[in-house]
Amino acid sequence: MVMKVMKEKTRKAVTFYSLVGPWFLVFLALSLLPLCFGFYLSFTNYYGFNMDNLRLVGLHNYQLVFTDTEAMYAMYRTFVYAIVSVPLTTAISLLLALLLNGAIRGLGFFRTSFYLPSIMPAITTIFIFKQLLYSSNGGFLNMVLGWFGLPEVNWLGYDFCTASLILMSAWGAGGGLLIFMAGLKGIPAALYEAASIDGAGSAQRFFRITVPLITPVIFFNLVMGLISAFQVYMQPILLNGTQLLSHPLKPNYLYAVHAFQQIFGSQRFAYGMALLWVLFVIILLFSCAVFFTSKYWVYSESD
Amino acid sequence: MRTHTAAGRWVHYALLAFCTLIFLMPLYLAIVNALNSWYSPPVLLPVKQEWINFYYATTLIDFWKYTGNSVILAAITVGLSTFSSGMAGYAFARLKAPGSQGLFMIVLATMMIPGIVTQIPTYILFYQMKLIDTFWPWVFWGIGGSAFYIFMYRQFFLSIPVELEEAARIDGCSFFRIYWDIILPISKPVVATVAILTFQGSWNDVTGPFMFLTEKKYPLATAMSMIGYLASGSTQVITQVSLAAGILLAIPIIVTFFIGQRNIVEGIVTTGLKA
Repeated sequence: MVMKVMKEKTRKAVTFYSLVGPWFLVFLALSLLPLCFGFYLSFTNYYGFNMDNLRLVGLHNYQLVFTDTEAMYAMYRTFVYAIVSVPLTTAISLLLALLLNGAIRGLGFFRTSFYLPSIMPAITTIFIFKQLLYSSNGGFLNMVLGWFGLPEVNWLGYDFCTASLILMSAWGAGGGLLIFMAGLKGIPAALYEAASIDGAGSAQRFFRITVPLITPVIFFNLVMGLISAFQVYMQPILLNGTQLLSHPLKPNYLYAVHAFQQIFGSQRFAYGMALLWVLFVIILLFSCAVFFTSKYWVYSESD
Repeated sequence: MRTHTAAGRWVHYALLAFCTLIFLMPLYLAIVNALNSWYSPPVLLPVKQEWINFYYATTLIDFWKYTGNSVILAAITVGLSTFSSGMAGYAFARLKAPGSQGLFMIVLATMMIPGIVTQIPTYILFYQMKLIDTFWPWVFWGIGGSAFYIFMYRQFFLSIPVELEEAARIDGCSFFRIYWDIILPISKPVVATVAILTFQGSWNDVTGPFMFLTEKKYPLATAMSMIGYLASGSTQVITQVSLAAGILLAIPIIVTFFIGQRNIVEGIVTTGLKA
């Protein structure tokens, strides 16, 4: 009997590892190894052709990151972009989900309309916004401004290009819609009824019931949104440029743009890896900050 | 938002209609302007039906070659990744082994690693191994699956009653047989969701192929980011044709979304995840 149990256990373990094996091996070889390899390279003078005689340069590349005015400015612009676009997109997602909560006629149509833009190919989105909405030659947004008697704006110029970038990201806000809808559906109707009987108005019900109970989803959206916002580089490059090595206008010269173009434009691999590791640590710190403060504002069943 | 009065209801639907208008406007504008004549400024209402712009979209650049590359990359990725993520997801849902919980924590943690931080050193490694400008990297990534979808599969498999498999186990079926013959056939919704989302991710990827491939092997999305639609001898992009190309690029995404819509909505709702 004991033998049989043992055998069953071993068999399970062997099966487990053969099923998980492919993922785990590729994780080791193509995630963990590159992560460490990149970290190592950030302490060398690697510039693309000297793999055979690398020289260790200590913290030189990291010093460069923090003294390079371009990198520091890019980091500041990335914070501006992330801090505006992530809460904005999350708020729009939540708002759309609230509009669709309850018995709505044509639910499927509305949901599809909001969700579809979020899965559009980035290139298609950029083409549409750049050539039609932001065009200074009869673009749609200027047309709308005109209807209200407002002056035209140079959407792709120095002053407005970051706003344009954020607006373009907000068009994809429907991506978080489905999760928010599921979260809202999960709130027991009895809670609302009880609150109504106690005389709570709709605003009170929203802020005292809906918002607290939906905070886990808001939390998840914020963390994932921040992680991806810090890495954005293709959209700002292509919003003004014509190919991936074009330089964006200065306000849209985000941190990941800098890293990407230093590596693929100037072959500064070691410096680029130092840039990316700094980004990695910042993302980790941000995620941890959101995570550790979450117990103060994220609702959990156990409280 | 619960609205009971007739006026409230009216405001509610008006708001919905307004949001729909905003979200669909860019797509509408794309179609109307893709059909306009070359070099004309943006228009709000349809003026022409120049369907030939769609033909030019496929001839002014090497459109079909790039589309072929997109199809190859997507086939490799979808075929391998859908399958191997499922295997790993099943193992995490059903099999306890020493270290399985630690490995699952790793799966969750990898979702937090910024892709760009591993992708560029991977490029350097592949460059050293002379695997640049081949499709091999996609084969490896495919075999590895994706942490997001491993998690999605796991959540789905956890919702299947264990009794189903126990009967088969008593009959002496191996775990592979159970996975293949019992689990997969009743898991079509999650398989379809993962396959479609993987396809969309692969089809839309611009920067991965830019790093790992050269122009001959670019998929359509990367090619369109690097090569503008220009008339010969001109440097000005033909807006109408590039919009037509953008629409063509989006068609497989829209079509696969509508095919799998019901499954995707359910899949994302039950796992609470969006990759």
